[in-house]
Amino acid sequence: MANKPKIKELLDESSCAHNQTRKVACNAPTPGATTGGCAFEGAQISLFPYADAAHLVHGPMTCLGSSWETRATGTSFAGRDLTQMGFTTDININDVVFSGEEKVAASIDYIMAHYAPEAIFVYATCVTAMIGDDLDLLCNQAAERHGVPMVPVHAPGFVGSKNLGSRLGGEAALAHLIGTKEPETTTAFDINLIGEYNVTGDMWQYTPLLEELGIRVLATLSGDGRVAQIRTAHRARLNVLVCAKSLVSLTRKLEERYGIPSIALSFYGKRDTSKGLLAIAEALGDAGLIERTRALITREEAKLSEKLKPYQAFFKSKKAVLNTGGNKTWSIAAALQDLGIEVVGTAVKKATEDDRAKARETLGDKGVLMMNPGVEQAKIIDETGADLLLAGGRSLYTAIKKGIAFADVNQEKKKSYGGYAGLLNLAEDLKNALQNPVFKNVARRAPWEK
Amino acid sequence: MGKVMHKRSKPLQVNPFKLSQPMGATLAFLGVDGCMPLMHGGQGCTSFTKVFFTRHFCEPIAIQTSAVTDAIAVLDGGDYSIVESVKNITKKVAPSLIGLHTTGLPETKGDDVRGVAAQIEYPLVYVNTPDYEGGFESGWALTCTALIEQLTEPAESIDDNKLVLLPHVSLTPIEVEKIKEFIEGFGFNVLALPDLSTSLDGHLGEKQAALSSGGITVEEIRTFADAGLVISVGDSMQSCATALQKKNPEMRHQHFSHLQGLEATDALAELLLTETGFSGPPLTVARWRQRLQDAMLDSHFSLGQSRFLVAAEPDQLAGLCQALYDAGGKVTVAISTVDSPQLEKIKADQVLVGDLEDAEQLADNYDVIVSNCHCEALAHRLHKGLVLRGFPNWEQVGNPLKNDLLYEGGAYFLFESANAATVMRDAGRGTRTPENHCF
Repeated sequence: MANKPKIKELLDESSCAHNQTRKVACNAPTPGATTGGCAFEGAQISLFPYADAAHLVHGPMTCLGSSWETRATGTSFAGRDLTQMGFTTDININDVVFSGEEKVAASIDYIMAHYAPEAIFVYATCVTAMIGDDLDLLCNQAAERHGVPMVPVHAPGFVGSKNLGSRLGGEAALAHLIGTKEPETTTAFDINLIGEYNVTGDMWQYTPLLEELGIRVLATLSGDGRVAQIRTAHRARLNVLVCAKSLVSLTRKLEERYGIPSIALSFYGKRDTSKGLLAIAEALGDAGLIERTRALITREEAKLSEKLKPYQAFFKSKKAVLNTGGNKTWSIAAALQDLGIEVVGTAVKKATEDDRAKARETLGDKGVLMMNPGVEQAKIIDETGADLLLAGGRSLYTAIKKGIAFADVNQEKKKSYGGYAGLLNLAEDLKNALQNPVFKNVARRAPWEK
Repeated sequence: MGKVMHKRSKPLQVNPFKLSQPMGATLAFLGVDGCMPLMHGGQGCTSFTKVFFTRHFCEPIAIQTSAVTDAIAVLDGGDYSIVESVKNITKKVAPSLIGLHTTGLPETKGDDVRGVAAQIEYPLVYVNTPDYEGGFESGWALTCTALIEQLTEPAESIDDNKLVLLPHVSLTPIEVEKIKEFIEGFGFNVLALPDLSTSLDGHLGEKQAALSSGGITVEEIRTFADAGLVISVGDSMQSCATALQKKNPEMRHQHFSHLQGLEATDALAELLLTETGFSGPPLTVARWRQRLQDAMLDSHFSLGQSRFLVAAEPDQLAGLCQALYDAGGKVTVAISTVDSPQLEKIKADQVLVGDLEDAEQLADNYDVIVSNCHCEALAHRLHKGLVLRGFPNWEQVGNPLKNDLLYEGGAYFLFESANAATVMRDAGRGTRTPENHCF
C-alpha cells in the first residue's frame, strides 16, 4: 500500500493556480450529469505510448474492450508496436468471488513468454480495486521472476476524472521507473518531454528542430517513448511540460527530488511553436543555443510564411467561430489567427480560469467568450457573418442551418496540426471545408416540403 | 461441422474483440424512442461507450452515467447515485424512459437495483448487466427481455396482422429496416424491438443526442402482447421471445438463427406465405432472389478459391459463415467473442471462442478476413484481404447502411467478399487479371 499515491494530495496540487485561491478542489462528478473519461482512461493515455512495454488491464471487458487501438500515438519503435495491442484479464464472476490474482500472474508470464516487453504496466480497474487484488505484491513478485520492471498503476475509474488518472499514471512512472537506470551519456542540453503523447505524430513536427539545435530528448512521458529512456529521465536538465496541466505534479516532484526545473508550453500554431522553442533554449541558459534558436525560428517562420501565402490569400477576411473546451479554446484560436482567419468567438464554458484569460488575450477585446455556446454560437454567426464553425459534431446542424462551413474539432485526427508544418495541414483541411458546397447542398428542401 | 472450442485457452485476452454486456444494453436502449440510457457505474464506462458508438455510427449518442466514485461505492447501495441521476437527467430533458443498466462495479458491491428502481416514480426499466459476465449479445438480449417483462402489458386476444421482430445486436439499422420491409411486403404490421433502423441512422436536427430519437415507442412496447406472431433472429434472442409469449400464451413464435443466405431467406419467405396464405411473394422479393442466385454464381469462382477467417459475435458469425459457405467460400477459422449454441452449427473447419491473437496465430489458414476494424493492422501486416463487419468499424463511414441480409443484402455481401479476395490475390501477384467468370 505504501506505493499507492495519495489522491487527496494529487488533487491539491500546489502548482495549480486555482488551488492558491481555493483550498478544496471540486472533483466529485454529478450523477446523471457527467461527461468525460475516468481515471483509468487518463492513466492509460499518459502511459500507453511506451511501445516496448505491454499494458495489462486487470478488469472486466468494458475497460479495455472499448478503448484499445483508439489513439493514433505514433512510434518509431522498430519492434512490434505494443501500443496498438490490447491485453486484459477479462475477469469473470469466479475471479470476482475468489480473486483474480492468479490470472494476473499467469497473464504476466504469458506476455513475457510471447512478447518479451521491456516492462509491463498493470492497471487496476474499479472492480479489481474493489475486490482488493494486490497488484503491488503481484508486480513485485513478477519483477523478480522476470527481471524487468512491473509497474502497478492504481487509477481505477471510480477515483476520479481523466485528468486525475493522468496524474496517477505519472506517479506510477515516478515510483517505479524514473531514476532506476543511468543514461549512457548525458549532454548539457538533455530535456524530457512530459505530457506529449505524439498523437498523430504531433511531436515529430518539432523534434527534428530540437535535434538540429543540439537539444536531446532524453526521455518522454510518453510520446514515442521507450521504457529504458524514462528510467533515465532523472538526469535531464529541463522538463518541458507540453500542453498538459495534468502532469504538473510530476514535474514539480522531479524538481523537488532531482532539481530539474520545468517549463510549460505548447507547440500549436506558429507563434506558440516559436515561443516554445525559444523558451526551451532560454531555460537551458546557453547564449549560443539561444542565438541558434533565434536564427532557426526566423528561418522556419520565413519558410512557413512562403508556404502559407496562397492560403492566407484564401483566408483573407474569413471569420470563424470556435466551440470547444480546455486549452483548445485559445490554442486553436491562435492557430487560426496564424492562418489569417479572424476568430470572432470562442466557447469558454468548459475551460479553466487560466484558459479563459488566455482566450481573452488571444481574441482581444472584440472577440466574444461564449459561456453558453449552444445558444450563443448561432447568434454570433448571424451578427458577425462568420464563414466557418469549428465545433463538435453536435453543432453541425447549426452550421447547416446558417449555410456556413463546418469543421469537427473533436473528430479523431488522422494528421498532425502541431508545430510549423502542422499548420499547413490545418490550413489545407480548413480550405477544403470552406470550399465544400456540401453544407449548403445538404440543406436543400425536399420537393414535398416546399 | 468442424472442430469446436467453447472456452478460451489462456489466462488473458490479447487484442480482444469481445465487447461488454453493458455496452450491448446501452445500444438496445438506444433503439427505444426518447430513451435516456443510464449506465450505473464509474463515469469511464459511459464515456468509453459513448465515444465507441459515436465513432462507429457517426451519430450523436445519448447516454448518462450514475458516476459512482470510490467514496460513493463504499457508502451507497445505489439509492443515492441512481435516484440523484434520475433527478438530474429529468431536470434537463424529459425522456420517455430511463434505461438503467449496471456495470461490474455496482454488481460487485451488490447494489439492489431492482429495489431502487421500485422507489423511482419516473418511467424506468432496469437490467443487471455486469461486464464480468456475458458479452455484447447477452447485454442487448437481457435488455430486450427487461423491456418486455417490465413494460409489456399481458393480453389475451391477438391481432393476426401484428408481428413483433426481435433482432440480435449485430444487425445494422438498414438490416433491421430491410427485414421489416420484407415482412411488411406480406401485409404485416411489423414492430421491431429494439428498432435501430429509425434511431441510429440518418439523423440531422437540432438538440441532437439529448435523447435517443426514433426507435420503437414505449407505448408500442406496452401493447406488444396482442401480436399474433413473434419472430426472433439470432439465438441470443430466443429468451426474449419466450418472455413475450408469457404475456400472451396465444402468441406464436418462430425463430431464425440468422437471416443470411438463400436457405434462411427462403425459410422466412415460406413462413410468411404459410401465415398469409399468399401464393407468391411481392415481385421485388422474387426479383432479388434471382439476383442472389446470380450473385452466388458470379462470385463462386473467387470465393471457391479463397479461405476465410470470420470473427464476430456468435449470431452474426453464424450468418456470415453460412453465406460464404453457400457460394463455396471456405471458412477455415471462425472465432466467436463468447460461447453460444450457434457454435455447433457454424459452417467452418475450426470454430473457437477467442481473440485476435488467435486470429494472428492461425494466419496460415486463411486469405481473407471478415471482421471489425481491429483486424485492419493484422490484414495489412500479413497481406490478407479484408471485409469490415461488426463492431467497431472506425475506419469506414456508412456502417449503418451495410446490409448483408436476405436475398438483397446477401447478393451485395457475396460481391464485396469475392472482390476483396480478388484484390488480395492480385496484389499478391503484382498484376491485375480478370478472374471472375460471369454467367
